[in-house]
Amino acid sequence: MSYLALTVGAVLVNNFVLSRFLGICPFLGVSKRVATAMGMSGAVIGVMTIASGITTAIYRYLLRISLNGVNYDLTFLQVLIFILIIAALVQVIEIMMQKLSPALYQALGIYLPLITTNCAVLGAATICVKDNLNVLQSMVFGCFSGVGFALALLLFASLREKLELASPPEAFKGTPIALVTAGILAMAFVGFAGLC
Amino acid sequence: MNKSSRGVMTFKGGIHPAGNGKELSAGKPTQTAPLLAKYVVPVAENAGKPPVPVVKKGDLVRKYQLLAEPSGFVSAALHAPTSGEVTGIIEVPGSMGVPVTAVEITADGLDQGEAPFEPLSDWRDTDPARLLERVGEAGLVGMGGASFPTRVKLSPPPDKPIDTLILNGAECEPYLTADHRLMLENPERVLTGAAIIGRILNVRRLFIGVEINKRDAIDALTQLAGGYGVQVVPLAVQYPQGSEKQLIKAITGREVPSGGLPMDARTVVQNVGTAAALADAVTLGIPLVERIVTVTGAVVNPGNWKLKIGTPVIEAVKFAGGVTGEIGKLILGGPMMGFAQRSYEVPVAKNTSGILLLPEDEALNYGSGGCIRCGRCVQGCPMHLMSCALATAIESERYDLAEANHVMDCLECGSCAYVCPARRPLVQHLRRGKAEIRKRRTAVKK
Amino acid sequence: MNDLIIAGILMGGAGLVLGAVIGVFAKLFQVATDPRIALVTELLPGANCGGCGKAGCADFAKSVVAGENLPGKCPVSSREQVAAIALALGVDAGGGFPKRAVVRCGGDFEQVTRHVNYNGVADCASAMLIAGGPKGCRYGCLGLGTCARKCPFGAIEIINNLAVVHEELCVGCGTCVAACPRGVIALVPANAAAHVYCNSPARGAEKRQVCKVGCIGCRKCAKSSPDQFKVDGFLASVNYEADPLPGAAEVEAAACPTDALLTAERHLFIERNEPEGVAK
Repeated sequence: MSYLALTVGAVLVNNFVLSRFLGICPFLGVSKRVATAMGMSGAVIGVMTIASGITTAIYRYLLRISLNGVNYDLTFLQVLIFILIIAALVQVIEIMMQKLSPALYQALGIYLPLITTNCAVLGAATICVKDNLNVLQSMVFGCFSGVGFALALLLFASLREKLELASPPEAFKGTPIALVTAGILAMAFVGFAGLC
Repeated sequence: MNKSSRGVMTFKGGIHPAGNGKELSAGKPTQTAPLLAKYVVPVAENAGKPPVPVVKKGDLVRKYQLLAEPSGFVSAALHAPTSGEVTGIIEVPGSMGVPVTAVEITADGLDQGEAPFEPLSDWRDTDPARLLERVGEAGLVGMGGASFPTRVKLSPPPDKPIDTLILNGAECEPYLTADHRLMLENPERVLTGAAIIGRILNVRRLFIGVEINKRDAIDALTQLAGGYGVQVVPLAVQYPQGSEKQLIKAITGREVPSGGLPMDARTVVQNVGTAAALADAVTLGIPLVERIVTVTGAVVNPGNWKLKIGTPVIEAVKFAGGVTGEIGKLILGGPMMGFAQRSYEVPVAKNTSGILLLPEDEALNYGSGGCIRCGRCVQGCPMHLMSCALATAIESERYDLAEANHVMDCLECGSCAYVCPARRPLVQHLRRGKAEIRKRRTAVKK
Repeated sequence: MNDLIIAGILMGGAGLVLGAVIGVFAKLFQVATDPRIALVTELLPGANCGGCGKAGCADFAKSVVAGENLPGKCPVSSREQVAAIALALGVDAGGGFPKRAVVRCGGDFEQVTRHVNYNGVADCASAMLIAGGPKGCRYGCLGLGTCARKCPFGAIEIINNLAVVHEELCVGCGTCVAACPRGVIALVPANAAAHVYCNSPARGAEKRQVCKVGCIGCRKCAKSSPDQFKVDGFLASVNYEADPLPGAAEVEAAACPTDALLTAERHLFIERNEPEGVAK
């Protein structure tokens, strides 16, 4: 699989939020302001890149380990071990960041720990395994999946900042109109289907 | 470069109000109003600090006598419009909806008084500083609407050089013809005033901008203008041609920077009425106690009257023969930027250019809808703002957004609300936003 | 069976290893943080709803500890939870005794004259900039409902162009007090039963001209109970520091000739039932 197809596919065609409907929680939760959406986007891109790489490596070299000529197939533990690793990874990154870059830590704030429970990260790891990508391909895929997530999140946050000034009917104010908007945005992304 | 398609000077943006109502009063000579029994002279000015009354109840005053002295740099003196007795320092309804202090004078019917200042008929040789002092003594303020003390406007800080004076005879507001009649009937007073201001500011480029719907006034001014070193500039009929910033752009091509004043474009703009009053103050030595006011709209006999400051609006309406039919709105000033009044007891002030009585059917009581984003207000805005976006931001209390999009540059000229097909009260939203932002800025300073 | 054992070993091992790694990193990169932040975070609901305007509860806790926000800013916490946080930090929860808002005006369109036909933006601050709004009184409630729209608890109702506070819904947050451009709304002790529904310092005769229920400064209330009512110029008010606060009996005794002095209950009843209900 070419890297170009991998990236374009991850960002546009199979956009994590708008096509695969993963990571809807932060998509709705942290899209009220463009500034906070940017912080979340940055954190997701970073975590997805590293997590995809590490989980693929674990899957390839630990879950399908052969010891003493016996091939063990532990792939049924995939989801469990991935979650464990992602959670630990996010924790370690957070601890390190707090020490090494307090400014970035402040900027990301709550979003970093929130990613632990972000299904998009687990989704990326699972898709890498399913598509049988190698470690480098996984990292590229993870990175650009994050970019796709960021794109959707920033678009949506910009829309919501405009929506805030609109005066929809009382019943539509807030989340309902946001969900309608998200639906229309998702339909727009269907236009990329078949690109690659 | 600032020419309109018809070859006269103009600016970009703005609107062309149809059926502008000037025909009601433009053709009639200015009349002098008969003496009234009572005048209530408002002390508070719209701009700057109010002056402090120096007379008290029971005092006998002569015409032109000082009633209140300025209380600071940005403040203007006030003089008695007629002779008589001060019968009280009272509160009267003000033009902005809040009561204002006023000196009530019961006239003795003689209307006598002597010019309090020495006439400077040789003003061409008088020290400019002395002329400037006279401007302050005579209590001159901008008579176009803002009522800003003229003395302050003519004392630019030394780091702001001035090279151009523009007299504003555009009178772009519909219905109003007071400046038109003044320029037509007394062009020499206007031009003398221009030349004196030119001397005070030491500028050579003197312009008078007049909209071409006042052809007769342009002719009258042009005949005499050469002798005063003044150039008469015909302007396109376009609203708000008479706004300082638009006038400067139309005539000089310069643009006043955002948040700046005309002096940032090396220009001073004065209303023609102010110039004429200034000429009187210098050559005759009399202070500003009367002005020409257009009384028009739904009155029996619309026209222009020379009214003393302190004439209650109700009396002015009587001069015009009273009202015809139901009145929907009483407006001081023009229909675009004037202020609706809640009482006929409001007195004429130095900046009252018109008394407009809109009939019930013209003062529409309409509901307004949501913004349909047609962008007509954007095309119409002479300051190139996006009124629609600003108004929605202010409606949702996003004053930060409004400020970032330069709501503070809004002139409140009303062009946007005039063209809005959804009839949104855009100016009212923008005024609230400006007031709120100003409040926040002062709060931050403290 | 074999798989099960290996899976157990693998997961257990992975857990141990990762736990150890986190532990090592936590020690290596330890940063001193204010323990109070963790404490406050613990006491908050932990819903991370963002209702306070902050990005989650931990962020809000940080701002509370830094003194940027009062604990009461959290809309989800109950009064007890807020009090617990305030106690833990030794800060003010939001002002000692519970308060209620009261709109000190009885001038609905039945009582007060209409000065102009105001047809501008239905917002009090906007109306203030244009001839001071529709009513004849310059000091009373404008009745355009800016406070009602701002109230986060829906405790203010506009009845016949007059804002009326529903005491049972009001929590005394003071949002309406800040929103009112006329300064008509005041925060008073929650247990106060009677109020003077007038805010105009104008002369009695002037008030009489524009409003039927304005206080005319006749001093009847102050004479009947000098401790509980005071009159300042032409405006009477309840002395909210009095103990006991005046109730229905004192209002009865004061016999206010214009009905400017009323119990809150009676005021709400009158506003609700006008014009056919109660004759004044």
